[in-house]
Amino acid sequence: MDNLVLVGLTNVMSFTNIALILGGTLLGLFVGAMPGLSATMALALLLPLTFGMDPASGLSMLASLYVGASYGGSIAAILLKTPGTPSAAATVLDGFPLSQQGQAGRALGVSLFASFIGGLLSGIALLTAAPLLGVLVLKFGPIELFAIAVLGITIIGSLSQGSVISGLLSGTLGLLLSTVGMDLITGTPRMTFDVINLFSGIEFTVALIGLFSIPQALILIENAHGAQKVASKITDRLIPPLTEIRRLLPNIFRSSGIGIITGLIPGTGGDTASWFAYNEAKRFAKDKSRFGKGDIAGVAAPEAANNAVVGGALIPTIALGIPGSSSTAILLGALMVQGILPGPNLLTDYGDVTYTLIWAVIFANIGLLLVGLLFTRLCVSVTRVPDSFVACSIITLCVIGAFAINNSLFEVGLMLGFGLFGYWMNKAGVSPAPMVIGLILGPVMETSYQQSMLIGQGNLSIFLTSPIAVVLLCIAALSVLQATPFFRWVRAAMRPRTQTE
Amino acid sequence: MQIRSIYTASLLSALMLSGAAQAEYSAADEIKVLQGFKAGGGSDTLAQLTQPFLRELLGVEFINEYIPGATGAIAWTRLTQQSPNDGSVVSITNTPMLMTNYIMNDAINYSIDELTPIANVVTDPGIIVVPEDSPYQTVEDLLAAAEERPGQITVANSGVGGDDFFSTIMIEKATGLSFQKVPFQGDGPSATAALGSKVDASFNNLGNVFGHIQSGSLRPLAVFTRERLDILPDVPTMLEKDIDVVAGSSRGYSAPADIPDEARDELIAAFEALKENDEFQKTAEERAMVLDIQTGDDYGQMMQEMEGQFEEIWADVKDEVNE
Repeated sequence: MDNLVLVGLTNVMSFTNIALILGGTLLGLFVGAMPGLSATMALALLLPLTFGMDPASGLSMLASLYVGASYGGSIAAILLKTPGTPSAAATVLDGFPLSQQGQAGRALGVSLFASFIGGLLSGIALLTAAPLLGVLVLKFGPIELFAIAVLGITIIGSLSQGSVISGLLSGTLGLLLSTVGMDLITGTPRMTFDVINLFSGIEFTVALIGLFSIPQALILIENAHGAQKVASKITDRLIPPLTEIRRLLPNIFRSSGIGIITGLIPGTGGDTASWFAYNEAKRFAKDKSRFGKGDIAGVAAPEAANNAVVGGALIPTIALGIPGSSSTAILLGALMVQGILPGPNLLTDYGDVTYTLIWAVIFANIGLLLVGLLFTRLCVSVTRVPDSFVACSIITLCVIGAFAINNSLFEVGLMLGFGLFGYWMNKAGVSPAPMVIGLILGPVMETSYQQSMLIGQGNLSIFLTSPIAVVLLCIAALSVLQATPFFRWVRAAMRPRTQTE
Repeated sequence: MQIRSIYTASLLSALMLSGAAQAEYSAADEIKVLQGFKAGGGSDTLAQLTQPFLRELLGVEFINEYIPGATGAIAWTRLTQQSPNDGSVVSITNTPMLMTNYIMNDAINYSIDELTPIANVVTDPGIIVVPEDSPYQTVEDLLAAAEERPGQITVANSGVGGDDFFSTIMIEKATGLSFQKVPFQGDGPSATAALGSKVDASFNNLGNVFGHIQSGSLRPLAVFTRERLDILPDVPTMLEKDIDVVAGSSRGYSAPADIPDEARDELIAAFEALKENDEFQKTAEERAMVLDIQTGDDYGQMMQEMEGQFEEIWADVKDEVNE
């Protein structure tokens, strides 16, 4: 195990990879700074760039992009009052007032340091926690995988913004689409309409690129002739004084903890974590009245949290093959493109690649500090790039990306189809994330179910023979139950009691 | 990957212009190699092994084009039905996948009659492995258990249509026993299931499990070769047990039907030359690839035999699988 950790470290330390990490962070910074482009989208768009790279380089770049974009979002939030990424929404509350008071530099500096510390801590958590989960790997056969997939599917409810019903609709569509292609057990082609291109099923990366990027591009075009964006200027110095950092440290540590744990729970990402951390920072603060009017703690908390999510979300992704957020779903896609099947054996069979990814996250945070100090001022100009240009480049990258996956024009068409469907979903207020989760987990669930049935001679009680599967299925049942009226009733019954205590 | 290979190709061609005179391939300056699987997979490994040697022998550049999907069927349909038959396009053909694709699916409509077999290069022999803590010490133990509890001994294979799936059926037919066949998505997951004792045995391929055998985490019971393997001298063949099963996963090169005779002969001659090439043999050995070079009509015959064999087996079992 130690061996693989070091192999990963040496992989990252190559000149190419360090350069890619710095480049990825910078790119992430810019993309994150552009309002409307989220970390998820940046990853989906740039995924195809990594096809030609070896796994270590490709993943290093994507990981650093993710880290960079997590910080970049705060730049637009602080200067434009528009969160560059959804997870920077909480940063707007105190960040923008600060920049109005001429303290934009201070706010960005604190945001950068908080992001750095949060990211670094989560990277370390990832390095220590993932192997612990990884030890269980060989215990995961079809029966346990089925339980994992079921648990993953129940996440769909929490991934949907707004209505649970529309989330379930989107997730079900994803599951349905995942049945296209040859049945693994019998080899029978299903829902392929004799189109040979559909025999291997729908490549989920294709769906992902279409669903996440095309709608965003179309919406940018729609709004292209809207109001001019006005960004504040940075007038003061960026590097915060040491005393300020020291004063904020407890806050940053707490927020990082929140970020790591929120990331760990599949289905919740940076947006949840940053609000969570913001609220906790407010709760712990002595003077609550300054929050919302430019309290620097209100910048540090969400930024530390949303960067800490990166490492946290990667823990279930790497140890179990369940993506912890939509961004890590794409990283999982990147692994699949490199011929690495997601699943519990990421840490054993592909340990060198996986540890490279983990180290890349840690190094990307160090790179972020460097790149952030040098380029944050430059990012101000990025926030002013006209939307129509951004939209055109997005669509171009989507087409290239969809083609590059399998050198197939059919998939470009498929991607555009998903794009239009995603646009409609967007207008209808249906989140595409559950659909992607459905597409990823559908085949895992179906296949492992069929395999379990074969191993168990068609007897459903086989799922009760494995303690791991039982625990996972119970958690899944709980997460479904907590969304039902029954659970609300239990909670209501509990509440008066806890309050009197 | 592809871009990189084009770069190296052009770089090497520049180097070669200054090099000594060599045999020239008559049909084209460059040969496009259609690969039905992703870059970095088994087909690509073969390409990386053979193509540097073929480049020297034939004086042509090789350009790999990866067209994954439908277990190679997209690439092979392209090869047989949509590629020029002037010798400028070839494909890496995996048997038995090449035939089982269209035997099992009516929607896949190429056949081996529409291609020119050039040469088989490697054959990864089939092997039965069990977990290290398995009660089965010998293949007889495994067969006896299947006799005692018919249809309850679980054996993993790499998927319906793969060589392990068919070799399991061949053993069932030869012995009259029945196993519970559990398909996985490839040889890797099939071996992992055995490592974790999730199945009683895995019908796998040597190249994929050799590392586990060496480390002792999987125990080999039998190989599906004609003779015992040099690297596993203690492991019996099925033939020794009077069970006539010889199987493996093979990869070679084929061109579209009716390519010019001259081109075909030159290609075959190049592969024949590989047989005598010590450096090639050494490189293959280093990469744990079992060479099984059979060229031209021999390769064609190998395909024909497999096609007949698998058509027969599939006709027998398809109702059972699709039940």
